[in-house]
Amino acid sequence: MALTTVATLRRPVPSSLASLAALAGLAVALPLIGVLLAAFGTDTADIAGRDIARYALTSVWLALLVGCLTAVAGTTAAWLVVMHRFPGRGVFAWALALPLATPAFALAYGYADLFDVAGSLRIWLRDTTGHDLPFEMRSIGGAAFILSAAFYPYVYLAMRAAFLNQSVNVLEAARMLGCGGGQALWRVALPMARPALAAGVALAVMETLADYGAVQFLSVQTLTTGVVRAWSVYGSTVSAARFALPLLAAAALLLWIERASRQGATHETGKARWRTIDVQPLAGVRRWLAFGFCLSLLMAGLLLPVGWLIWNLAQTTPDWERLVSATRNSLLLGFAGALVTVALATMLALGTRRLPIAARIASLGYATPGAVMAIGLLAPAGLIWNLAPGSGTAVAIVLLVLAYAARLMAAALEPIDAGLARVTPSMRHAARTLGRDEAGAAFAVDLPVARGALLTALLIIFIDVLKELPATLILRPFDFDTLAVIANNYALDERLGQAGLPSLLIVALSLPAVIWLTRRIATARPGD
Amino acid sequence: MRAYPGRTAVDGASFALPSGGITCLLGPSGSGKSTLLRLIAGLEPVDAGEIRIRGQTVAAPAMTAAPEHRGVGLVFQDNALFPHLNVSANVGFGLAAMAANTRRARVAALLDRFHIAHLADAWPHMLSGGEQQRVAIARALARAPSLLLLDEPFSGLDGHLRDAVRDALLADLRAAGTSVLIVTHDPEEAMMIADNLILMAAGRIVQTGRPEDCYHQPVSIAAARLLGDVAVIDAVVTNGIADTALGAIQADGIPDGAATLAVRPGAIVASSTGVTATVSATRFAGHHYIVEAFAADQYFTIQLPGKPPANGEQMTLAIRHDAHALIVRDGD
Repeated sequence: MALTTVATLRRPVPSSLASLAALAGLAVALPLIGVLLAAFGTDTADIAGRDIARYALTSVWLALLVGCLTAVAGTTAAWLVVMHRFPGRGVFAWALALPLATPAFALAYGYADLFDVAGSLRIWLRDTTGHDLPFEMRSIGGAAFILSAAFYPYVYLAMRAAFLNQSVNVLEAARMLGCGGGQALWRVALPMARPALAAGVALAVMETLADYGAVQFLSVQTLTTGVVRAWSVYGSTVSAARFALPLLAAAALLLWIERASRQGATHETGKARWRTIDVQPLAGVRRWLAFGFCLSLLMAGLLLPVGWLIWNLAQTTPDWERLVSATRNSLLLGFAGALVTVALATMLALGTRRLPIAARIASLGYATPGAVMAIGLLAPAGLIWNLAPGSGTAVAIVLLVLAYAARLMAAALEPIDAGLARVTPSMRHAARTLGRDEAGAAFAVDLPVARGALLTALLIIFIDVLKELPATLILRPFDFDTLAVIANNYALDERLGQAGLPSLLIVALSLPAVIWLTRRIATARPGD
Repeated sequence: MRAYPGRTAVDGASFALPSGGITCLLGPSGSGKSTLLRLIAGLEPVDAGEIRIRGQTVAAPAMTAAPEHRGVGLVFQDNALFPHLNVSANVGFGLAAMAANTRRARVAALLDRFHIAHLADAWPHMLSGGEQQRVAIARALARAPSLLLLDEPFSGLDGHLRDAVRDALLADLRAAGTSVLIVTHDPEEAMMIADNLILMAAGRIVQTGRPEDCYHQPVSIAAARLLGDVAVIDAVVTNGIADTALGAIQADGIPDGAATLAVRPGAIVASSTGVTATVSATRFAGHHYIVEAFAADQYFTIQLPGKPPANGEQMTLAIRHDAHALIVRDGD
């Protein structure tokens, strides 16, 4: 009673999963190719190479400062939380990642207002002490501080995972060989976690280079502000594309660094049996120092600026109509962006085994700022608008979602890949010998097994889309405002009180998702 | 034939699988038996040659029938149960095209046959290794394949449980009536369970046949070694009797002249007359000792029931004249 149909001999056809992966890879490659075509096109640009160099230098300085600050802050916090017992440790373990819910521009609004030269804090300080604070937020130093406060969680999460995954045996071996706690960090744990550090810092630097809202508001002229201004002020796609070129090069470089560091990661002795780390209790002053350090990070990245924005809400009369429609638009884009991005990333993840190049392209997209992606999509957009003039809004939204997908695909790919790693090759082969074809096996086995990872990916992309500003600014349809866009518009008009509410709405919408994600990460054991 | 860059995994593997019964594919690690299994299942394409199932070609160079169309069941070494499905859903996975109530009945029958009906609602991670294996086999048999392949099915079982689990499982498999091909690297196991043996070494089929025939009439020294230790002795054959340094031995059917013989360890014994040998090593193996002794310019490994002489001491070895020489190797 054989259930199988008659076996038909045929030439092996190209895998359907590989074709889907190629399609997803193309979605990312399209804007990248668009930028290159625009930059090397025949049109002349009104931007001098000298200007680009000046903007680029600022970007480099900012990236270096943020890289160093996030490396120190994120690593210290992770080491304290993983290896030591002190008050609040259990809460800090996940709460330290919460600044991921705040867009960097919201922090910039809060800090710039709080420490404004004409602000109440400084006036009060000058009146009571006779001295002014020795720093200015609207400077490259201020921008570096604010971006570090926003992006240190990338380093913290990477290092936390690395420290947790380290074999306890290796740390114990170090102690048997005479290394104290601090020495164990310097001589064993940190060198072993170097790949994670490089990956985390690379992420923070990528986000720094991609940021538009915060640096624009602080009047720090980076390449990304150059891209947006070349397009919005001069209306020149060519100039914008030329500003984008060094960013693309930086993206490739960061990607290479991240990749090279991951190759080191495979040599870790992660195969050792997992055991609970012996947490060292901290005594006396040191436990309060640890508490103070973690609290100040959380204050800097979330509580202080967001608290100040909330405090200021009292003095504004919100434009509810505008806020409601912007919230609706943000949610619409967030859901659509998350669904499309995760769908494409899933196609990519399932087909990557057959088409590794597609995943590389996706990573390049992640390292590429959203503003650059948007510029790359302007040329195809113009083509469509010329062909079908009436299709404006719909096409613009499709392009915007495509830009999100191109930019964020790699962020979705990572958890999905990790989820799919639970499916062994023999499970896939079992599904094949039990009558499913390649795509059928993917639907019946791969996707259900990875469903938790798919949800994680959806939430990550949803949060990122809510916070996204530059690509939305460039590609959004006329009169289509998101929360990030109206916050930016208010801020540019120096109506900071008004800018606070949409920023806080973004935080309020992202926070539950971020809490769910970070708590999931905090309770997960390696291998789960 | 199947070649990977840099090496050929399976080559010259021509054999016909008898219909029905249990066949063991035996070979050392890396001999290509798992690759052969994957070629039959359709998980890898053949580079040359042909595979036919029930007379129908399913694989030829650059042509292949997809694994889902071959009617072959495969039980993986790690069982490969789907972690997101319970036992019933795992067993019913291949029956998606069946009506729900027919499927339920078939799954229930399979769970009964393999004595796992009480686990129907359990999840794979809750099962013991033996239970997981029964689920995997029931799942593979659900589509009534014409051939069931098992990859090293008993290697994960504990020593003392192994025989009991294996015998029970084989009884259930025989009752199911499907042709079964089992891959193993354990010669004793293969001889115990197989109706037919396929001996494989270095990607080639060395010999096929009943276990007794393969053991007693190996086609080469390599084939003999796959099923157990052999001692190799130079001899001169006259009229079906081989003269060796250790005495005479039966050599039926072996032509007269110089020959190289292979004998099983049991054929060489300690004796009062024979050749003087120097003991070079002894090992205790439970119900006997394994002694390595040097005589007539070569080392022999023999089994002694009692306590052996110490290293360096002498003993007398002889060949049992009623033992049979296994094969001849001319020239080399």
